[in-house]
Amino acid sequence: MFKLTKVIAQNASALSGISKNARLLSTAAVRYSSSTATTNSPSANAIDSNPDEPIQISNPFEKERKVCILCKHNITPDYKNVKLLSQFQSPYTGRIYGRHITGLCKQKQEDVEKAIRRAQHCALMPTYHKDLEFLKDPKLFDPEKPIRPHKY
Amino acid sequence: MPSYELFLVLRQMSRPELVSALKRTAESILDKGGIIRRLQNLGSRALPYKISEQGLVHREGTYFAINFDAAPAKISDLKEEFGRDVDIIRRNVYKMEEPEKYECTLHEEMLPPAYRKDVQDMIEIAKRKQKPKYNYNSGLDYYPFQK
Ligand SMILES: [Zn+2]
Repeated sequence: MFKLTKVIAQNASALSGISKNARLLSTAAVRYSSSTATTNSPSANAIDSNPDEPIQISNPFEKERKVCILCKHNITPDYKNVKLLSQFQSPYTGRIYGRHITGLCKQKQEDVEKAIRRAQHCALMPTYHKDLEFLKDPKLFDPEKPIRPHKY
Repeated sequence: MPSYELFLVLRQMSRPELVSALKRTAESILDKGGIIRRLQNLGSRALPYKISEQGLVHREGTYFAINFDAAPAKISDLKEEFGRDVDIIRRNVYKMEEPEKYECTLHEEMLPPAYRKDVQDMIEIAKRKQKPKYNYNSGLDYYPFQK
């Protein structure tokens, strides 16, 4: 018990020593800055041409703006364009893929869903499977790798 | 007059019958004071699913699309008339609308939730719905309301 108190007392003294040093340092820094300010202030033009001054640039870490595939090619989905619409349909169940799989923006996804439902009602597209003609079409996205996980 | 598109699926027929059926539909539009802008033949093929219409089961059909202008009040009459036609399997009238100018919002949607506009709005609504709560350490030594 006695030892412990001793150790604490030692530590306290050491700490106080450090804080004293810090105070000294800070005062030195203030003095330095004030001296530089006084030396620089008469020659204001010198500051403008100083190469060490920070330069104003745009954020270099800003990410590139993402654009969905339909907006990129400026396509508005039409219900008669069955070949395009069938790419947003599951070949196994005929269901429309969600936004987390297709990677479309809200408006385009809504348009695609509306167009597919129209086409199905007009007997242009099957509802429970994908048209056999379009089964080997190139894939626009991978349904196995959705942006957000889902339970299916 | 707004412009509409009529999507027709006709049953499998011989060519003269098909022509007469198309003529009938076109004339019914013209009789209602409509203007036909375009007529597209989209070919005939097997239907993606069998359709039973007018007491018959259809497995093949011929597709047509007719763009026309007509008064909005006449559309229901047209639909009723096409509904009685025996040769028509499917008839759908859609309003043709100009696509609005639209900027892709995918970038904003992919931001973390705290930065999204709709999430911020939801948080705001939740805050507004919070009921005022009695502060138990407010200095009063009794609960001033009925419990
Ligand atoms: Zn988009």
